[in-house]
Amino acid sequence: MQSARTAYPVTWRIMDALEAFAATVWPANWTRAVPYLMLAPAVLLVGLLVLGLIQIGDTSLRTLDTSTFLLSEEYTLANYQRAFTEPLFAAVAARSLLGALIVTAITLVFAFPYAYVMVRTSSPALRKFLLIALFLPFFIGQVVRAYGWLIILGNQGMVNEALGLVGVEPMRLLYNYPAVLFGLVQYMLPFAVLMVAPALTAIPEELEAAAGSLGADWLRTFFHVVLPLARPGLTGAGLVVVTLSLTDFAMPAILGGGSQDFIANAIYDQFFRTSDQGLGATLALMLVAVGSLLVGLIFTLFGAGTLAMGRARE
Amino acid sequence: MHDATTDAGAREAQGSQPVAVSVLDVSMVYDGVHAVRDASFDLPRGRFLTILGPSGSGKTTLLRLIAGFQKPTKGDILINGTSVNAVPPHKRSIGMVFQRLALFPHMTAAENVAFPLKMRRTDARKIPERVDRYLDLVKLGGFGQRRIHELSGGQQQRVAIARALVFEPDLLLLDEPLAALDRKLREEMQLEFRRIQRELGVTTINVTHDQREALVVSDEIIVMDHGVIQQKAEPSRTYRSPRNAFVASFIGVTNFIAGDARSLAGDTVVVGVGESEWTGVIGDKACPLNVGAPVRGAIRAEQIRIARDGRALEGAGSRHAGIVSDAIFEGERVVYEVRLPDLGDTLMRVFDHGPHDTIAVGDEVYLGWNPDDVLVFDDEAGHP
Repeated sequence: MQSARTAYPVTWRIMDALEAFAATVWPANWTRAVPYLMLAPAVLLVGLLVLGLIQIGDTSLRTLDTSTFLLSEEYTLANYQRAFTEPLFAAVAARSLLGALIVTAITLVFAFPYAYVMVRTSSPALRKFLLIALFLPFFIGQVVRAYGWLIILGNQGMVNEALGLVGVEPMRLLYNYPAVLFGLVQYMLPFAVLMVAPALTAIPEELEAAAGSLGADWLRTFFHVVLPLARPGLTGAGLVVVTLSLTDFAMPAILGGGSQDFIANAIYDQFFRTSDQGLGATLALMLVAVGSLLVGLIFTLFGAGTLAMGRARE
Repeated sequence: MHDATTDAGAREAQGSQPVAVSVLDVSMVYDGVHAVRDASFDLPRGRFLTILGPSGSGKTTLLRLIAGFQKPTKGDILINGTSVNAVPPHKRSIGMVFQRLALFPHMTAAENVAFPLKMRRTDARKIPERVDRYLDLVKLGGFGQRRIHELSGGQQQRVAIARALVFEPDLLLLDEPLAALDRKLREEMQLEFRRIQRELGVTTINVTHDQREALVVSDEIIVMDHGVIQQKAEPSRTYRSPRNAFVASFIGVTNFIAGDARSLAGDTVVVGVGESEWTGVIGDKACPLNVGAPVRGAIRAEQIRIARDGRALEGAGSRHAGIVSDAIFEGERVVYEVRLPDLGDTLMRVFDHGPHDTIAVGDEVYLGWNPDDVLVFDDEAGHP
């Protein structure tokens, strides 16, 4: 008996001993709790966020006493009144919302053909190149990339120098709305492509061949077959891009140069420049509300897309 | 001689019909490998042709070339007399049923069937009636509003057929659409394909690796292997007179006896295996055999008789003693595997449809057959 057992490798016997130990510490009938236990860290993290949100809600109801720079003790809705009435905040909100929508539309239009070629190309080399080109920007942070655009688009930047060679006067390419949107589209493109690509992979190539044999040219195949079937991917990508753009900070701050603030920049100013934590908290809550409304609207209009999770119906 | 008259009749019928599809010397090369090599055939209008072959034989490539999804490296494809090499798939009048059906999951059955009509800009007022007529044709009347995933496998097949036929194409292509079905449904759908094809008279090319399907549905069979057309003939001729050892082995249960050709007299060949000899007839009359060449004789399992007592096989021209090495009960018949020591230990498969429990593994038995049923092929030509 003993010799038979020692015939097994020593690593096996160590594992056996560990298993026996685990069985005494954690009886088998507790195993059903394991998945929930593994969920605990995530629940804890989200729970902390919710606590933070409650804290912010509390702060938003207090005004700043400019003589002592302390928050008032009593609750008031004054911050909300300011946020709704001051034209500066309305302008910032409109700029952010419009920007998020424009960026989403442009990004989806650019991402779709990119993802399509990446999924459908028969050349592995091209697919690899497109994938690397997609992931490379991820290794460079958003702020570094924005500074890169400053160098390229600046008054003495590459673009203006190239224009100078053909006799065009240097022009101001930075610190305006289009520059911010441009930076955002460039930043969002990889996210959108990565969300659209799986939806396109899920469309069998045979369907496109079938549409062709049934008399559809590529344009009609695209509109009647590919686009409707890719809709979940486009919806998912749209949701991600619209929320990330709406809440973006670095691009408006760096490429907008302070003149093209989005909501996040306004919140930053309230917290760290004027130190009005109450108003900053109010703006933060309103950003959460606007973002949630927008996502809710997209959910009702287009469904949850690839973010629907759960088991697919088909 | 019944089949000879039907063959002649069929040939007469096809003579009166114009050619629908001509494949002229078509080759397709991928990365230096021939998927299809010098394929040529004509298909008269209204005929049902099956391209039969194992996977990798080039049969699907040939079909995709006809459909226009790929361009041949060499050669020409004519539909109704016009070369279609430069015509994209959506401009060819071809209905195709795909291997995995390729139905549009975001549309109902009726919308799927209406799709080709809309794409071809058919008068919108006529579309519902046409769709209904074709759904009725495939026995799916009343199922039009179902979504694709609400239909069974067989019903999805029928939608795919209706969609491929509703615009009345010149040619119907079937790319192994039955391969994924279970046997019972597959056999039912084979008969459906044949019924619909005869009802509409549409020229059809079917691709399959299922020899039974090819025999059941087709007017003509092309057997392909290694990208080369091995034989093109009516089903009964393909079965009874295979042109080479590959065709003989791919269709039906075929036994092979090896040896060297010792003497030739007319069509009759005497073949030696070691000390003993067997007799057969030349399989491919266009390909003469040489004395001394290695050959193989092919004989169908159903053409061999088996008996415990050699005297029961008096009438058979060839008679050999053997040992039963396996007995496989298949319900309507028993398949015996018999080892023949005097034919170089050749293993022969034999059917027994009679009372099944008289012969056991290890028993000594006799096999008898008619030498005219043994088709002798050059061992070099054809590769099973």
